[in-house]
Amino acid sequence: MSSAEKYDAAFIETFLLEPKDLAALKYQEVESWDSVGHMALIAALEEAFAIELDIDDIIEFSSYEAGKAILSKYDVKIEPV
Amino acid sequence: MREAAATLDIQAIIHHQRNRFPVLLIDRVIAFDPGKSATAIKCFTYNEWFFPGHFEDDPNVPGFVQIESLAQTFIMSFLCIEEYQGMKTSFVSIDNVKFKRKIVPGDVLTIEASLDSFKRGVAKGSVRSTVDGQAACSGDFVVAVPAILDRFKPRT
Repeated sequence: MSSAEKYDAAFIETFLLEPKDLAALKYQEVESWDSVGHMALIAALEEAFAIELDIDDIIEFSSYEAGKAILSKYDVKIEPV
Repeated sequence: MREAAATLDIQAIIHHQRNRFPVLLIDRVIAFDPGKSATAIKCFTYNEWFFPGHFEDDPNVPGFVQIESLAQTFIMSFLCIEEYQGMKTSFVSIDNVKFKRKIVPGDVLTIEASLDSFKRGVAKGSVRSTVDGQAACSGDFVVAVPAILDRFKPRT
């Protein structure tokens, strides 16, 4: 599974979304991405990529797109599928 | 700091968690290891508020009460840490719940909770309970502490 596929899977499985819903997704735009969902997403990403995000990065992780840039700081490159 | 106490009586439980009558459903924490585990007891008497309705001719402890007793023991595994004491909690999920034994007036439920992880306000663990050594109710719990989650909310 590529990094992009892992990244998408974390969102899809945590928030029960369709792939088409991801591109413009932002925090609290779907009911499931609330404060609890946010922690579940972060945990899923940390497990998928074997990383541990800093607090500031968790707070900045406010959208699907923003997350890609944040993960790049952890040497996780989300290339288009 | 109350961590040094070998047990927590009802006043100490009230000091550490926010549940109150009629939904404070543990009587004493008989052992605890902060951040790792907690063991509590709940003594059920015929005077419990739910027995007249569940059921008049066959009083036994409703499943939701058993689950809540387990949850309140589970949260004591981290609310006994001074930094978190008194914080409100909320369920995230409950899985693998099993009810093995009817609990009736006079039974003492012994509840053992194990905290597998507690990270950024999300606690995960498992809880089992017994009456006279016989398995009663058990389950896997995920509980959140909203006040901690709020520290990690994205800026919008």
